[in-house]
Amino acid sequence: MIVEAGHFALVLAFALALVQSVVPLAGARIGEMRLMAVGGPVALAGFALVGIAFAALTATYIQSDFSVANVWENSHSLKPMLYKVTGTWGNHEGSMLLWVLILTFFGALVAAFGRNLPATLRANVLAVQGWIGAAFLMFILTTSNPFARLDPAPFEGRDLNPILQDIGLAIHPPLLYLGYVGFSVCFSFAVAALIDGRVDAAWARWVRPWTLAAWMFLTGGIAMGSYWAYYELGWGGFWFWDPVENASFMPWLAGTALLHSAIVMEKRSALKIWTVLLAILTFSLSLLGTFLVRSGVLTSVHAFATDPTRGVFILAILVVFIGGSLSLFAWRAGSLTAGGIFHPISREGALVLNNLFLTTATATVLVGTLYPLVLEAVTGDKISVGAPFFNLTFGPLMLPLLVLIPFGPLLAWKRGDVYAAAQRLMAAFGGALLAMLVTWLVVDRVTVFAALGVGLAAWMVLGALTDLAQKSALGTAPLGVSMRRLAGLPRSVFGTALAHMGVGLTTLGIAATLAFQSEHITVMKPGDVADIDGRSLRFEGVAPVRGPNYTETRAQFVFAKDGRTLGEISSAKRLYTARQMPTTEAGILTLGLSQLYVSLGDATSNGGMVVRVWWKPLVTLIWLGGLVMMIGAAVSLTDRRLRVGAPSRKARTAVAAASQ
Amino acid sequence: MTRKQKRLSVIAAGLAFLGAATGLTFYALGQKASFFYMPTELQATTLQPGQRIRLGGLVEAGTVKRGEGTQVSFSVTDSEKSVPVTYVGILPDLFREGQGVITEGTMRPDGVFAADTVLAKHDENYMPKEVADSLKEKGVWQDQPAKSGS
Amino acid sequence: MLFWIIAALLTLAASLAVIVPLASPRRRAVGERDHDIEVYKDQLKELERDAARGLIGAAEAEEARAEIGRRILKIASRDDGTKEALRKRSLVPVIATGAVLAVPLVSWGLYAAIGSPALPAQPLSARLGADPAKSSIEELVARAESHLASNPEDGRGWDVLAPVYLRTGRFADSVAAYRSSIRLEGETPARLSGLGEAIAGAAGGIVTAEARAAFAKAAELDTKDPKARFYLATADAQEGKLEDAATAWRKMLQDLPAESPWRGAARDAIAEAERRIAVARGEAQPGPTQDQIDAAAAMSDTDRAAMINSMVEGLDAKLRQNPQDPEGWIRLVRSYAALGRTDEAKDALGRGLQALDGSSEDGKRLLSLAASLGLALAQ
Repeated sequence: MIVEAGHFALVLAFALALVQSVVPLAGARIGEMRLMAVGGPVALAGFALVGIAFAALTATYIQSDFSVANVWENSHSLKPMLYKVTGTWGNHEGSMLLWVLILTFFGALVAAFGRNLPATLRANVLAVQGWIGAAFLMFILTTSNPFARLDPAPFEGRDLNPILQDIGLAIHPPLLYLGYVGFSVCFSFAVAALIDGRVDAAWARWVRPWTLAAWMFLTGGIAMGSYWAYYELGWGGFWFWDPVENASFMPWLAGTALLHSAIVMEKRSALKIWTVLLAILTFSLSLLGTFLVRSGVLTSVHAFATDPTRGVFILAILVVFIGGSLSLFAWRAGSLTAGGIFHPISREGALVLNNLFLTTATATVLVGTLYPLVLEAVTGDKISVGAPFFNLTFGPLMLPLLVLIPFGPLLAWKRGDVYAAAQRLMAAFGGALLAMLVTWLVVDRVTVFAALGVGLAAWMVLGALTDLAQKSALGTAPLGVSMRRLAGLPRSVFGTALAHMGVGLTTLGIAATLAFQSEHITVMKPGDVADIDGRSLRFEGVAPVRGPNYTETRAQFVFAKDGRTLGEISSAKRLYTARQMPTTEAGILTLGLSQLYVSLGDATSNGGMVVRVWWKPLVTLIWLGGLVMMIGAAVSLTDRRLRVGAPSRKARTAVAAASQ
Repeated sequence: MTRKQKRLSVIAAGLAFLGAATGLTFYALGQKASFFYMPTELQATTLQPGQRIRLGGLVEAGTVKRGEGTQVSFSVTDSEKSVPVTYVGILPDLFREGQGVITEGTMRPDGVFAADTVLAKHDENYMPKEVADSLKEKGVWQDQPAKSGS
Repeated sequence: MLFWIIAALLTLAASLAVIVPLASPRRRAVGERDHDIEVYKDQLKELERDAARGLIGAAEAEEARAEIGRRILKIASRDDGTKEALRKRSLVPVIATGAVLAVPLVSWGLYAAIGSPALPAQPLSARLGADPAKSSIEELVARAESHLASNPEDGRGWDVLAPVYLRTGRFADSVAAYRSSIRLEGETPARLSGLGEAIAGAAGGIVTAEARAAFAKAAELDTKDPKARFYLATADAQEGKLEDAATAWRKMLQDLPAESPWRGAARDAIAEAERRIAVARGEAQPGPTQDQIDAAAAMSDTDRAAMINSMVEGLDAKLRQNPQDPEGWIRLVRSYAALGRTDEAKDALGRGLQALDGSSEDGKRLLSLAASLGLALAQ
């Protein structure tokens, strides 16, 4: 009963999505309030129905109902309860259902909190959300139905892919989808505005909270995915330029550009056409990512979908939405009026430069991701484009951007003074130089790269602090006054500073890890001690351990310095019995911001074990930086200017009187 | 600056960026993309010394020698030719004889492939796509129906 | 029934989401411009705050103020879109009716095509709690498994489950279950020889050293245990010690009580061993009838091969139709082996064992034949 109720709710949600696609749009064209008003309740009901379907699927996972094909393929009665629940979205069908759940969630949010939007804009936005929802619900119901049944039902499931049985994977897809799909709202706003033929500064203000929220979640999703790959795959790397990673990184880059260009549009009513195009492109890249991951054209950990009909279906959705919206853009862009003018050296100019860097970087990542696919389709040659390519293309584009970041917030609107900004940044520059020197002299005399990286990171963090110091007149006004000023600053200023600082911290983590990490591969027998940069790692021994649905050989290590124990680590070789699949469970010991990473290899003939050990200084900053960026976005979201309410009765009558 | 000049300067800057990025991208694709070869194809190709490539195929049965220490040697075969490979480090969890594998590294002058990366399949039904395609062309490997659970 | 009530309620709720806004009294549209003006007024307030805090200079603030003022003026001079509202009014009832009808029609129509309303949910716990008398073997096994998962130290549970696994061909599970029952309940001839059989089954019918050790221990505890004796002899046969094996089987046959199910298996094994001994000595091979041989002799080589193959394939096809034919399976496996078509022989062996149930009398005969032919069961 639960299963079929969920199935029916999903079908009903599809019917409502169709209504949502047509009725509000028609209402907006005709100018009929009652038709437009349908959008809100239908969006809320659609979200509730998809929620029921998702809850029903989760319940079948919890109950191990193997009469549902999806549960049979991806679950096992002995799997721990947590992974039974997370297994709901650890597979193609379930994750697509989660995708649509989040899509309808954002639609419901627009319906619930969109009171401050003009009625036609709101109706059009909900209609565009309806199109996307209807397309993906159609996709789920026809090619990837999670409620397909098996009769008679088998008695035991085939278990979830063990590397997906992990708490990181429980959080990573929902966060990532909140980001991916969050940009659908920006897309809907852009398309709605193009349908209306009216884009202005107010539009940018209305889109801003959605862009910020989507960007925040996407940042978190990417950071989480990176950390998962780091500790679960046992390779010790944090970013592989894997096409699937790129698929989530491209919308992030484009979304970051959108975030910045929308500021110019809001403040100066400039860059309108460009901002609308970016909103369309960002979600198009999200759709492209969904296509790449879900169609199985890529071979990757994530590509568990290999049914060609699915690929063709998503490709069709991709073509219709991207092609349609870009055609609409080409048709309507000419009718948008140009906005305010500005000097190249100004806040606007800096943000344009930011956009140039970010979009070009997005383009290089796009080329690097798609080129092998295109080349293989055209010539049959197979190439792989990996880190060396991206280091050579993405790197040179990012470095100048990172150097320029601190200048942006210090420049005035319209016409800025770059010398004044540089003067204010002297302290930050001095600090960065000092950090560079210290790194070069004390820590590492060999690689210039290390010193430069640390210097750059310090420059960004200090630059962000300089902005706050300037705006609160720290140092020029009495301390009490500047503290009061600091507290009174708009939240968005703090948001900006935190986000830029986060980028600096991530840079520091990457630079320190790449420059200072040390790797040791040795054969160890119980009792052996390995020297890890002046500290010692003692191999205590191995013991078999039996888990709920796996067995493992667990090795114990003790990490110590001068006889003082710093911590204990255990690392394991695990075998999941249902799929007879071995995995490596890396042992990680966090000391301050640095980590010791121990991965086990094979047993050797003489009774030892191959052990691979990395010492990774400051590595956690890579992800903590992402967290700081998220906090920055969250702080920015609470800024009072994003809480402009609906027009009050008084204003309404006044304007109504004026227009009659 | 007039509106027109401003717009022109933005467009010029944009084009300059795009030009630089295009140049970089093409240069990088030429230099840094590594081509994928099967052993038979490798024999028919001349490589520049030190050129990074990917070599894929099946791990030939009976050739895996785990040294006393951390060095491992094995042969990668496509059933026609095979190429000896050496690797220092930890092999992936699913590295097994007779299974598909992709190695990345450079060819040494003595004809041994020095790999710095070894990728094996990630799960029971997964075969690296490049390897599967090439083996299918040779008729060595066929899609097998997924192993049914018991 | 409950499902239909829920479906009807959901449909009703979804339809209401469409109907209520359509049926509610016409609200006065808030002017489109008011929302924009609200934003610009807020921008002005923000500007004043920034100016008061000294974040922007006075001249800059003045410029910005003028710019926002121009935006407000531009909005105020814009047409509010109310004129458009009068177009195509006649379409409204059509769209409204279509929307209200679409919800039940699309959902019930689509669900009728893809749903399975009659199929109840089958949570595992409910299935495991069902009446044992009505349960299938599979269900009983699953119940025992879930019981043992929570009580892994229940030796008697393992004891029950181990032979069931063996009979259903889950050899690896059977090995583990026998090991657990031996660990918890102690060694008995039955458990040891069961373990040996499971190990041999997992190895495709080959009595490995490990299996042999288990059988030997069982035979030590009970010299009369027929299973252990039979397999120990099989192990000899597999190693090529056919004479020893035949002797052991003959001795076993003498000791076995008349009603023992092992008699047939032992007799077959002896016959097979004797045949192979004869072959090894170069004596005539038992094969087709004299007529067939004569016919075959009169044919060309290719014709002969074709005839033999067609005979074998005819038998194969017949067995696919009617698999309950132990003699047929034995002939088929033997023929394939004789033709050197080892893979097909293994395949036929697998199918035969599946059809006959590996632990039945006939299944054992087939297994021992395979063992004597040196065939390993295809995994």
